[in-house]
Amino acid sequence: MMSIASQDRAFVTLAGFTDVRHKHRRAPRENSPGQLTRHTWVYTKRLLRRWIRDRTTVLESLLMPVALLVTLNIVLGRSISQVTGHSALYGSVPMVAMVAAMSGSMVGGIGLMRERSDGLLSRLWVLPVHRASGLLSRLAADAVRIVATTAVILSAGLILGFRFRQGILESVAWLFVPIAFGVAFTGLVITLALYAANTWVIEGTEIIWGLLMFFSIGFVPLEQHPRWLQPVVEHQPVSYAIETMRGLSLGGPVLAPMIAMLLWSAGIVAVCAIPMAIGYRRASMRG
Amino acid sequence: MIETALRPQTSAVQQWRTLTVRMITPTLRNGEVSTVVFASILFTVGFYLPLKGLMGGFPGGMSSYAQYLMPLIALNGIAFAALSAAFRSATDSVKGINRRFKAMPIAALTPLAARTSASMYRCAVALGAALVCGHVIGFRFYGGVGHAVGFCLLALLMGAVTSLIGDLIGAANKNPEATVPLMLVPQMILGLLSVGLQPVERFPAWIQPFVRNQPVSQFVYALRPLGGDSTPAAGEVTWSVVGPSLAWLAGLTLILIPLHAFVATRRR
Repeated sequence: MMSIASQDRAFVTLAGFTDVRHKHRRAPRENSPGQLTRHTWVYTKRLLRRWIRDRTTVLESLLMPVALLVTLNIVLGRSISQVTGHSALYGSVPMVAMVAAMSGSMVGGIGLMRERSDGLLSRLWVLPVHRASGLLSRLAADAVRIVATTAVILSAGLILGFRFRQGILESVAWLFVPIAFGVAFTGLVITLALYAANTWVIEGTEIIWGLLMFFSIGFVPLEQHPRWLQPVVEHQPVSYAIETMRGLSLGGPVLAPMIAMLLWSAGIVAVCAIPMAIGYRRASMRG
Repeated sequence: MIETALRPQTSAVQQWRTLTVRMITPTLRNGEVSTVVFASILFTVGFYLPLKGLMGGFPGGMSSYAQYLMPLIALNGIAFAALSAAFRSATDSVKGINRRFKAMPIAALTPLAARTSASMYRCAVALGAALVCGHVIGFRFYGGVGHAVGFCLLALLMGAVTSLIGDLIGAANKNPEATVPLMLVPQMILGLLSVGLQPVERFPAWIQPFVRNQPVSQFVYALRPLGGDSTPAAGEVTWSVVGPSLAWLAGLTLILIPLHAFVATRRR
C-alpha cells in the first residue's frame, strides 16, 4: 500500500511537466539541456523523498556506520594510535564514511530493481521527460545521501575526538571527498541492478565493499598489512580517498591521492556509462 | 446433505521437504551460494591479514593468531549465510507467498521450518568454506574427531538461531529487501567487540563486562577449546565453558519461536 501511495504522489509532481509546456508558447524541446536540469531535479526530489519516508532504512543507514565507527575506535583505536603516534580516527572516520557511501548504494540498487518489476520505470519512460534524467537523478540523489551520511559520521567523529587541523576550506572540502568514489560505486551498483534478475547480485556487492574496507589504510595503517599486499592496499580507491581526507584534516599530501581517487572513479564511470544507459533503456521498455 | 470436498491428506514431513527443496534448488541453479563462500573468504583474509601484525604479539598465549581467530571466522561466515537466508524469506513475504501458504492446509510453522533447514544448508556451506580458509592460514583441530564434530555442531546451532533472528526481521519488516542487507554491519560490530579478535584485557576497562558476556564472546569461549591448540592456552572443554553458549541458544529459541508463531498467524 505504501509504495502505491508514494508512486501516486510522484505522478502528481510529474503532472507539473504538462503545465510547464502549456505556459510556454513554444514548449522547450524535451531533450534540451534546460529540461534535463529541471527534470533531473524533479526526479532527484522524488528519490530523496522516498528515502526520507522509509524511516527504518534511513535510521539503519545512519546509525549503523556510527556504531561501526565507535566500535572500531574501541577495538583498534588504542593499538593503532600506539603504532602511528596520532589518533586512529583520522583513518577510521573517512573509512566509515566510505563504507556508508558504498553500503547505502545497495539500497538504491534494490529500489531500482523493485521499480523495474513494479513497472514504474516503463511508466516514467512514456512521459515527455529528458531520457538521461532518470539515471542522472539516481546519481544526484545518491550524492546528496552521501554528503548527509558523511556529515552524521563526522559529528560522531568530532565527539570521539576527531579535529580539523587545516583551514576552513580544507574542512569543507573534506565533507565532499566521499562523493566522487561513492557516486562511481553507485553507478556500478545501478549497472549490476539493471542486468541482474535477482537481488542477490546486489547483495554480492557487500563482498566488494567488505574487501575495500578491510584492505584499506583506514582499517589498520599501511605498514601493518602484509608486505606483499601493501601495493594493493596503497593503490586501491578507498585508501586514496582516506589519504585525501587525512590530508585535508590532519595534514599531508592531498593532490596526488585525490587525483588517483578521481581517476579510479572516472574509470569506473567510463566502464559503466554505456552499459548503464543501454540497461536503463531496456529496463524501461520491457513489458 | 451438502457434499463438500474432502480435506486433503497432508504430511507435515513431506510439506517440509518440498518447501526446503524449493528454497535450495534455485541457489544451485544461479550460483547464489557462491556469495556465502566468498563471504567466508572475506572474513578470513579481512581479519587475518591486516590484524595479524597488529594483534600477532598477543594471541592469548596460543600457538598462532590463526588458531586464535578461527572461532570468529567460522561464526561470522555462518552468521552471514544465515542472514542472507533471511533475505530470501523477506523476499517471500514481499511477494505474498507466505500469505498464500496461510490459505493452504499447512501448519503455521512449517514454512519457517523449511526456511530454517534451507538456511542450515547455507550455514553448512559457509562452515565448510571457513574451515578450508582456516586450514590455509594455519588452523588445525587438536582435540580429536569428537571435539571437531562438537565445534561444527555448536557453530551450526548458532547459525540456526541467527537465521531465526534474521528471518523474523525479514518477515516482520515493511521494507525488508532494503534493510536486511544492512545487517552485515551489526554482525561485524558484535564480532569486533568480542574476544574473537583480541583477549578481553586489551579492551578499555569500561566495556570489558559487555565484551566478556555478549553472546559472540561466549560462543568464541566455547569454540576455542573445541578447536584446541598445541599449547594448553586454548583451555579445557568443560560445561562451565560450553554451558553459557548452550543457554544463549536455548533462551533465544524459546523467545523467537512464539514471536515467529505470532508473525506467521497474524492477519494483515
